[in-house]
Amino acid sequence: MEAREPLAPDAPALELRGIQKAYPGVVAVGGVDLDLRAGEIHALVGENGAGKSTLANVAFGAIKPDAGTVRAAGTVGLVHQHFQLVGRLSVWQNVMLGREPRRGWRIDARAGRERVRALARDNGLEIDPDAFVDELPIGVQQRVELLRELEREPAVLLLDEPTAALAPAEIDSFFKTITQLAARGTAIMIVTHKLHEVLAYSSRVSVMRHGKIVARFETASTSVDEIARAMVGGELPQVAQRSETAPAPRFSVRNLRAGTGSVALNGLNFEVRAGEIVGIAGVEGNGQTTLADAIAGVIPFEGEMQRPPHTGIIPQDRHREGLVLNWSIVDNTVLGRQRLPSARRGILVDRRSARADAEAIAQRFDVRAASLDVAAGTLSGGNQQKIVVGRSLLGDPEFVLAYQPTRGIDVGAAALVQSRLIEARNAGAAILLISFELDEILALADRVLVMYRGAIAGEFSGANIDRGRIGNLMAGSSV
Amino acid sequence: MSYLKRTLGGPAGAILLAFFLAAVAMLVAGVSPLDGFEALFIGSLGGRNQIAETLVQTTALLFPALGITLAFRAGLFNIGAEGQLVIGGLAAGALGAHFAPATPLAIFVLLAAGFVGGGIWGGIAGWLRAQFNANEIISTLMLNFVALAVANYLVSGPLKASNASGAETTPLPASSYLPTLIPDTRLSIAIVIAIGAAIVLRWLLKRTVFGYELRASGEAPDAARRNGVNMPRMTLLALTLSGAIAGLGGATIVTGVLHRFNTQLSPGYGYTAIAVALVGDLNPLWVCVAAFGFGILEAGGLAMQALADVPKDAIHVIEGLIILVLAARRYVATRAEAAPI
Amino acid sequence: MSSAGGALIVTLLTLTLIKSTPIIYAALGGVISERSGVVNIGLEGMMIGGAFTAVLFSGMTGSPVIGIIAGIAAGALLGFILGFAATVFKVDQIVAGTGINLVAAGGAAYALTLIYNQPGASPQVSALGNNFWILVAIAFACAALLHGVLYFTPWGLRVRACGENPRAVHDAGLHPLRLRLYAVILSGALAGLGGAFLSIGEVNIYSDGMTAGRGFIALAAVIFGRWTPWGATGAAIFFGFFEALQYVLQGHISWLPADAMQALPYVAALFAIAGLVGKVRAPAADGIPY
Repeated sequence: MEAREPLAPDAPALELRGIQKAYPGVVAVGGVDLDLRAGEIHALVGENGAGKSTLANVAFGAIKPDAGTVRAAGTVGLVHQHFQLVGRLSVWQNVMLGREPRRGWRIDARAGRERVRALARDNGLEIDPDAFVDELPIGVQQRVELLRELEREPAVLLLDEPTAALAPAEIDSFFKTITQLAARGTAIMIVTHKLHEVLAYSSRVSVMRHGKIVARFETASTSVDEIARAMVGGELPQVAQRSETAPAPRFSVRNLRAGTGSVALNGLNFEVRAGEIVGIAGVEGNGQTTLADAIAGVIPFEGEMQRPPHTGIIPQDRHREGLVLNWSIVDNTVLGRQRLPSARRGILVDRRSARADAEAIAQRFDVRAASLDVAAGTLSGGNQQKIVVGRSLLGDPEFVLAYQPTRGIDVGAAALVQSRLIEARNAGAAILLISFELDEILALADRVLVMYRGAIAGEFSGANIDRGRIGNLMAGSSV
Repeated sequence: MSYLKRTLGGPAGAILLAFFLAAVAMLVAGVSPLDGFEALFIGSLGGRNQIAETLVQTTALLFPALGITLAFRAGLFNIGAEGQLVIGGLAAGALGAHFAPATPLAIFVLLAAGFVGGGIWGGIAGWLRAQFNANEIISTLMLNFVALAVANYLVSGPLKASNASGAETTPLPASSYLPTLIPDTRLSIAIVIAIGAAIVLRWLLKRTVFGYELRASGEAPDAARRNGVNMPRMTLLALTLSGAIAGLGGATIVTGVLHRFNTQLSPGYGYTAIAVALVGDLNPLWVCVAAFGFGILEAGGLAMQALADVPKDAIHVIEGLIILVLAARRYVATRAEAAPI
Repeated sequence: MSSAGGALIVTLLTLTLIKSTPIIYAALGGVISERSGVVNIGLEGMMIGGAFTAVLFSGMTGSPVIGIIAGIAAGALLGFILGFAATVFKVDQIVAGTGINLVAAGGAAYALTLIYNQPGASPQVSALGNNFWILVAIAFACAALLHGVLYFTPWGLRVRACGENPRAVHDAGLHPLRLRLYAVILSGALAGLGGAFLSIGEVNIYSDGMTAGRGFIALAAVIFGRWTPWGATGAAIFFGFFEALQYVLQGHISWLPADAMQALPYVAALFAIAGLVGKVRAPAADGIPY
């Protein structure tokens, strides 16, 4: 464990020189120089699509750059945003995969367990080596992912959006571990878009935009605002204003139960009124997907649900659940509406109205596409999401379920999507917004419900909306 | 380069490969490929009778291929067209031999019986998948063997013609024969019905709400599920309809070619039809073209065996290799909640 | 119990062991392939390849042992083709497996005509005779061995990880595609051995259609046995029992005709996969190209 000679503080641990990487039609990284020093926590920030993840993967060695050199003073480890774990293997098996201790032809399970237990203890991470990964909460799974990288005793540790799925309390303990690691000489780079964390824990910040590093800051002498402006290259886009509405109930659930295990819903009661946005705040994995699935009619549920006939649904995963990627924009416009009288002529799909609808969406949402007949899969994430959102708002639905409506899209597209949701609300739609980004909830919602372990842990509205208390409830502590 | 790759990786490449492999098979059999191909083409296209026989084979392949096309487009691997074909033929043959009214209407009744019989056979797999999440690949395969056992039992027992030496049903009355298209050949108007079915299937898939939902289920099952498609119902409907089309094919073989049912109805049309559907790129009209191509192979293969001494089974090796090549294309989206296999 | 009834039961149990053996081999092949993430619909074709090649080589050399080895090699070769297609070309595994089945069935029929000039069945060759019991025993040894390899060796751990999340295997510095290729080759070898047992173990000829869907039944056994070696072996015995039952009952039950009883194992397989009602979970990356 102590085999590796720690690097002197501030010694260069990772040097990236002139890194370039292009994909068909897009330059992901266009000439980047970056140094990491031993013992520092370096934040790499930027919008979605700025090239951060590509750069991290080049540094890790998973992507070969078109040009440029990577020099590392030792092993480079990468903790993925989407954990790459094997759910049906135990913690120690995941950590030791590929470097299994042996006794003869067999794996030495005891040695593996002990190695993981010692590693966890040394890094202040609490974990049961024999637990099966898919039975662990997301926060603990992340520890497994981290342990797996630490087992290789990396000189450089790259973390891609490490806190995306963590509750506030878990985030604190996570950074405690990271800070200790840095203090022992590991160079750490965090790829993130959460600027508050950047300010709280990093020593330096590099900002990427359009594949280039456009600004570098010492954390001590910068601000969230300054970093945010560098990220978008100017002023932040404005979101539409909310107006007064007359609320009447449009959607309600009474004693809603669905799903099994840790994501089961334990009897939810709430309603969404016309002209209001109700935000469901919560850490990922507390039953939000079960709720969305029950509302979309994809899973069975018990209890009562009042859902108006004309409902628009914005699913969480536009690639898998929102679009048929091989189909044209026009064909995708019909999806989910194919049985509405306005989208068909008898038993036939009304192709003329589909095209007119697609044109309307393209205009209202500023969809950038060569034509409406190109496959949805060829569009950028932002444009794809605009189609999904635009489609769900067609024909003024009475109720809209928006699950992570701005996930993974750039700030401009996100502001547009948020504005259109607010406009729909102003026009009288009842909107249920499920988001893991508390900032988004606070920006859009009239009322906030906090979801924790499949139940509503608290409700806030108007002046009572309090970021701190919501954060506590999300983490499971009672106020 | 990418254009070349796309073309050669697709149906065109598969057909080129087919010719190459056919030549290899002939060389292995000690026959000059020139002689072999000559026999193949003379045997399939060399005259009125040969062309008629090629079209008979085309028809026999086209129905199950259309059924397979429909199922694959819905994201369901129906490997059971063979059994559905047999059950369809059995239903028509049994009804025609014993209960058919001696009116011109009889032929419609028999074709409907085949359609329904094949539909039930496909529908069993659909029901098992929709109700119990039983993988349709295994269930349709198992049902092929069950269909053969059922047919064997019926034609050698309860339905066996009293004066027949082999296992077959009583011949149909002439009033329930499908009209012949080219006199003194085995070619009936079944080919017209098959092409009509292809046109209807294309319209169904391309224009109707049902077809829209069916294609969405195949291309992006999670998106379909979440956007108002009742997936269990779609699974049941698609496999039922798929089986029904194959079953209709079985009925046309009984009423148009054999004029009775026996268990030699299909020398594996239901399996070859998978290749036909894939070469036709799961597009009903191209499937018609592909069926004609494979009809040439099937009809010519016999001539090749007779005239050039190349075993006709070489044709099936070639079909298998074509399927292997075409497997490089993605036909069915990966499902998040697939039935276990 | 009358001695006739006792004899019947002994016959039934003996026959069950014999009829289970080829299905066990193929099902074990299915387990190793699917645990690595490749669905092997081509098991049937690999059995055909093994059955025919075993007869061919036993006939040529007069040694059934060489026949068995050749059968294993033929299955492994077909496994290599499927594995190569599945890993390097990332083909649709179901479609490719179907292709393997047609190639093997057509190839065997073609070769029968070409080599023996007698379509339908080969001439008789030297077979294992009473020594076929050794192969029955080896089937169970293979199950034990596969269990040990999958659950106790590094390679087994990696193969299982590969069937769940090949990306994680790659990130651990290993080669998921290579692991899958080896697993599918092994799968083919086992299926080939199962086929060889059919042709020169149980009998002494190859005939067209002699595998009769056992490769597909083996797939059902993999599911029914929940992707574990012992589970699949148990399921294979279950299906083998119904096949044996059909032979034993044929002479004894007049109201159930022989042809209808031929459907027994297939119907049993249908019930087996339908009766599981979502209680099973396949390897997460099973059938998904990496």
